[in-house]
Amino acid sequence: MARDPGLPPRRLPRELSDRMLCGLFVLPTLGVLLVMVAYPFLSLLYYSTLSFSLLRPGQAPRAMGFGNYTMLLTDPALWERFVFTGKFVVLTVTVQMLLGILIAYFLQRDFRGRDIVFTLFMLPMMLCPIVVGFLWRYMFNSEWGIINVMMAAAGLGKLDWLGIADNALVAVVIADAWMWTPFVILLATAAFRGIPVNIREAARIDGASPAFVFFRVTLPLSAPILAIALLLRLIDAFKQYDLFFAMTGGGPGNETMTVSFELGKIAFRYFYTGLASALAVLMLVIIVGLAMVFVRRLTLAAEER
Amino acid sequence: MRSRPRSAFLLPAVVLTVYMVYSLGPVLWIALSSIKGRQDLFTLPPRLIFTPDFAGYQAVFGVGAARDSAAAIGLSQALVNSIVVSVAGTLLATVLGTLAGYAASRFRFPGRDDFMFFALSTRMIPPTAVLVFYHVMYSRVGLSDTVGGLVLVTTFINLGLATWIMKGFFDGVPVEVEAIARINGYSRFWAFRRLVLPMVRGGIAATAGFCFIFAWNEYSFASILATTKANTLPVRLSSAMGATGIEWTQIFAAGMVLIVPVVVFFYLIRRHLLMGMTFGVLGKGGT
Repeated sequence: MARDPGLPPRRLPRELSDRMLCGLFVLPTLGVLLVMVAYPFLSLLYYSTLSFSLLRPGQAPRAMGFGNYTMLLTDPALWERFVFTGKFVVLTVTVQMLLGILIAYFLQRDFRGRDIVFTLFMLPMMLCPIVVGFLWRYMFNSEWGIINVMMAAAGLGKLDWLGIADNALVAVVIADAWMWTPFVILLATAAFRGIPVNIREAARIDGASPAFVFFRVTLPLSAPILAIALLLRLIDAFKQYDLFFAMTGGGPGNETMTVSFELGKIAFRYFYTGLASALAVLMLVIIVGLAMVFVRRLTLAAEER
Repeated sequence: MRSRPRSAFLLPAVVLTVYMVYSLGPVLWIALSSIKGRQDLFTLPPRLIFTPDFAGYQAVFGVGAARDSAAAIGLSQALVNSIVVSVAGTLLATVLGTLAGYAASRFRFPGRDDFMFFALSTRMIPPTAVLVFYHVMYSRVGLSDTVGGLVLVTTFINLGLATWIMKGFFDGVPVEVEAIARINGYSRFWAFRRLVLPMVRGGIAATAGFCFIFAWNEYSFASILATTKANTLPVRLSSAMGATGIEWTQIFAAGMVLIVPVVVFFYLIRRHLLMGMTFGVLGKGGT
């Protein structure tokens, strides 16, 4: 590459080496993360081998070895929680990714009032999560909730949304996708706009169909951001707590109880601190394991390009 | 501009309209419900025309009959705490995440992939799992119930997200940008500040937006770590839920009030939010 006469000559004689710059850029973040994770995680591992409760600090903790883990792993109810959580995560993340990418795609075209529409679409994500839960619970009420009223008016009949497990799952997915599709729209739009216009123009001039341009140019070029959006949504959906707390309270029975909800119950209602720590470790192992597989594939895909 | 068949406009219009109903219907509903009186909340069919009743807002602001409402925020300390914690937490997470994201995108330092994975894994930890330990840790070092302690935890919960999103955006900027700058005698830091950062300002704005949303609405950590002096609005408002049954109007009014700062924040960053990246420097794009 030749020297570009458009840029004025350098002014600064002093220069940071790449290594120093890299260290200066990474270390603060690494420091904060280590302080906030290392200590709690090590304590978590230690506590998970004990039988004790935070409520009774005077009582000496009893060493359990892997007792907490065997108790959890042999409990069939816990597996139901994991299965239910998995169903919820897959459903809600699929809906919000597809919907988010679709809406972002259609929002690329310039039309009057687009920026206002875009801004309005961000509103659900800005609401306080716990308020969102109560709002949907209010709207899903089987008697006077607006959703059933509209369904009845449309001749579809009323549904017991929150009283039947499968319906409740759909209801929470509708609420969660409502709240978090904007997250995907925002990241996808930013990613789409990051693609230089001339690449798409070139493809169009070559006679490629819009579908071809989308699947062969737009999607692959915005893949890094979309993959990150997917990963973050998966993680957050796995942790989802507020919506279940406000909408179903885990019911009917325990049928809409997620792992995260169960953990909260063991830790802060029953105060079985040891058992809760073991469940937290299990949860982390599962989600970290899944994320590792995902991230490895992501890194491989990125290196292939 | 080539003319296109009518259907090319019809489909997007239909999809966007349907999504608008799904997206904005509930927003409209919470706005209406927040000014409904108790008797109007549970009528069948739900009323669209009714006499507005601002009891929920009165309770939220602690005025009139609801002067002593437990959930009142008004111009209380909780409001100040919330603003300080969210703004400082967002600023720190965005700045640190941008720097770390740039380093992870451009430098092959030892353990880079592990660092990125570690950054992400911090977001996987359910708040309930680490709260117990933060509680102990904070009381040992004197951070319990302090605004500083909350700023730290708010920065932490967003740092992984910020680092990852910013790395994604930096990955989209061709490395030739810095290469050309250096051939012309500029330092890498100069290229980073003057060339690369402006290209990703849409990404920075989006990151800051997300961080602010998560920081402003954060409840789990604040409810345990900042119970009195340093409590934030969501914690304060939560007292409207549960004590005497569900106070629907108060909850909806609180939701409407709490969303205002987030909307203002997005309004302030709107120009940068959807700024397309320009690759004019190079006359080409992509990696």
